[in-house]
Amino acid sequence: MADLSIQVRKLDGASVVEPCGFINAHTVRQFEAALEKLISEGHYNILLKCDNLNYISSAGLGAIMGQIETVRENGGDIMLSNLRESVFLIFDTLGFTQLYRVFEQEEDALGALMGTKKGHK
Amino acid sequence: MTAGFDGQRFRLIIPSQTRYLNLVTNLAKRASMAVGLDDSAAAKVSIAVDEAVTNIILHAYKDDPNQVVEIELRFVSGSLEVHLFHTGHGLRNDQISLPDPNEYVRHPRKGGLGLLLMSRFMDEVRFQENDNRSECCMIKRLG
Repeated sequence: MADLSIQVRKLDGASVVEPCGFINAHTVRQFEAALEKLISEGHYNILLKCDNLNYISSAGLGAIMGQIETVRENGGDIMLSNLRESVFLIFDTLGFTQLYRVFEQEEDALGALMGTKKGHK
Repeated sequence: MTAGFDGQRFRLIIPSQTRYLNLVTNLAKRASMAVGLDDSAAAKVSIAVDEAVTNIILHAYKDDPNQVVEIELRFVSGSLEVHLFHTGHGLRNDQISLPDPNEYVRHPRKGGLGLLLMSRFMDEVRFQENDNRSECCMIKRLG
């Protein structure tokens, strides 16, 4: 199995990015490229749905951090949902739960994201 | 500690390439669980090892793929020790400056979080040099 595969769903008002596997220094470029592609296409409302994410290292957190300014400057946001306990722990330990809104379910996160439709194509 | 592991040590030597991170972190996680750490603690060890090996590959060796990283797991009474050896540019304890998470949240930036994760997820992290080799030692206590 590949270390990381990424599915992207473009909805009306938000895009859902579903990483499956591990985001670490080896796979982070793939994750970064998926985010960059969405942003370059004008999709600024991004949900990271993480139920199949086994873990994310600081390299992956840096990739999210690297895009958040552009996204928010364009009226969008990056939100997170369906985090496994171990992945939530990493986000929480580093204070990322204060920087990003985290939801238990995809529907709730999409509701929050789509409340600010201006950030999406 | 699960009977049969006390005093044992295992050694893995990998090329300094990030493609081997998954192999190393899986080993660390399984070893942690074998000696009695629960899922959550084992995941913490696994992440700390990922961060430490990544630092060695990217910073100590400056992404030179032709070097090696030696990972040794030692099962010592009451704790799991992870020793990482390399011959690149090593850190010393007095060079370590951990970012303040609260400050990070106020002024986000890319990078600088690996050492913080290592120190938060392990009970002890220290760096030293011996015989032209650098070592990062991380200890997780059981129970």
